[in-house]
Amino acid sequence: MMENVLKMLTITRPSMTRRTGNGIKSLVSRVVLFVLYRALKVLACDDRRVASEVATWQEGQSVAIEASLEGPAICFKKESGRIVRCNDHTPVDIRITFRSLDAAFLVLTGQMDVANAYAQHRFMLNGDINKAMSLVRCIDIAESYLFPRIMTKRILKRVEAKEFSALRVYRKVFLGV
Amino acid sequence: MYLPTYYEFANPGKILSGRYALENIASEFRLLGSSRALVLSDRILEKLGQVKVLTDALVSGGMKVVKVYTDIPADSSIEVVNHIATLYREANADSIVALGGGSVIDTAKGVRMLVSQGGSDLMRFTGMEVLPQGRHVPFAAVPTTSGTGSEATVVAVIKDDERHVKMEFVSQFVLPDLAVLDERFTLSMPAKVTAMTGLDALTHAIEAYSCLQKNPVSQCYATAAIRLIRENLPTCVAKPSDRHARLAMANGSLLAGSAFSNSMVGIVHAIGHSLGGVCRVPHGLAMAILLPHCMRFNLDKCAEDYAEILQYMVAPEDYVAVSASSRAQRCVEAVDDFASSVAQAAGLSLHLSDNGVTKDVFSDVAERAVNDGSLIVNPKATSKEDVLRILEAAF
Repeated sequence: MMENVLKMLTITRPSMTRRTGNGIKSLVSRVVLFVLYRALKVLACDDRRVASEVATWQEGQSVAIEASLEGPAICFKKESGRIVRCNDHTPVDIRITFRSLDAAFLVLTGQMDVANAYAQHRFMLNGDINKAMSLVRCIDIAESYLFPRIMTKRILKRVEAKEFSALRVYRKVFLGV
Repeated sequence: MYLPTYYEFANPGKILSGRYALENIASEFRLLGSSRALVLSDRILEKLGQVKVLTDALVSGGMKVVKVYTDIPADSSIEVVNHIATLYREANADSIVALGGGSVIDTAKGVRMLVSQGGSDLMRFTGMEVLPQGRHVPFAAVPTTSGTGSEATVVAVIKDDERHVKMEFVSQFVLPDLAVLDERFTLSMPAKVTAMTGLDALTHAIEAYSCLQKNPVSQCYATAAIRLIRENLPTCVAKPSDRHARLAMANGSLLAGSAFSNSMVGIVHAIGHSLGGVCRVPHGLAMAILLPHCMRFNLDKCAEDYAEILQYMVAPEDYVAVSASSRAQRCVEAVDDFASSVAQAAGLSLHLSDNGVTKDVFSDVAERAVNDGSLIVNPKATSKEDVLRILEAAF
């Protein structure tokens, strides 16, 4: 009976369960994207490897990471040698758009690394793939600070050694000092 | 068999393989609704009379060839693509036939992208899986070498002359509708080119089988390619006029192309692209030189895959004679032996030092290699120091 009713309807919105799940994933993605941006900003100053990667970026090089087409996003660029946030999402040099909120959630919660997300077609990339390689290395290093070793050991090809404690990164990310 | 938690596979277009394959393009295009072809090729093929063979086949089948463009350089560029797209529109063409190696076919892919999307600048479409379908432009690729596999890949690599970098365009919509394998075009290929391109195809198959993006379908294509290449490449080098071996190699190249198009390639290509960029080492030769060294580097991460590949690289009795724990190592040796014997028969050296590479460029090559997009799916993390060690070993 229910099946027949469903067949007659034009479905325009997901079920309540799905909407709740999407809402939670969207919220988590928004928070993690912000933390990731702040961590990259901190590491670009404090971690020698990230600093040397960012040094190779062209001045003004901009990056957008979008947790799906309609989902939360973060946009930042290199300005005077530092990473700063920019609000305007278009146009950017590198745009990573996850194909679904679920795919973004997998990566942003440390269940999958960027390399495997690439291999599984979890995101689309606008811009020069070679330029994106440096960003991927920076994100891998940031993840080694942000996620516990038990997670990074499972998802990363190689867990980079931390140059200082993760607490220092978290302190600077949230308190700015 | 390995099954990833998720994978995608874009099948190649329709394959026309073998006798009179060329003569069937016209009827296939008629089914696709086109009758006015733009033919793209290069000067050498024009001089060899091969462009004429193609246009004769098309016109005999009822097609009109509205324009023939043969000024495509070995390293085609965005400017060339933009220019040809203008010619396509001026000639009122409705389809594209590309006859040539990787550069010609990749150029044709670029032209098709521009024509089907509209606009005049290809740079708008750089990136990975961002291209919408656009207007359908029937497109046939006729490879004249057996190596790039470009007739079956979702990738187009085109140089940006302004910035001196090669740009990658990745989309299922760059796949040709028809991959036409006709051995007539490969019979005149010199032994050196045959060896280099054939070992390039072998590299595609082995990297596709073992890289992070591997999946059951690409692994099937890769193993079929490895078998065809192992059984036929030595014959093609020793006896260039062997039509059966030439057609088999064309098939091996296509299968390897489709495999790597869906699994991507790894460290061999990352370093090879850089060697090509810095020292102009021909791509196939760079692959042949680097493949065994890079397999040794990846051995600890790829042992299971290499052990499986061994059964396609040696005779069955040799495979069973090797203990399970030694198969991966034996596979690397088998690939090394195979590449060396093919290279020797063709008069090639598999040492960088014999091919115009000096040690003072190693640092630049390594720097470029770690920024090459291919490295992202290599199973083992690779640093600049790792690349330098591989280059030293290959010197």
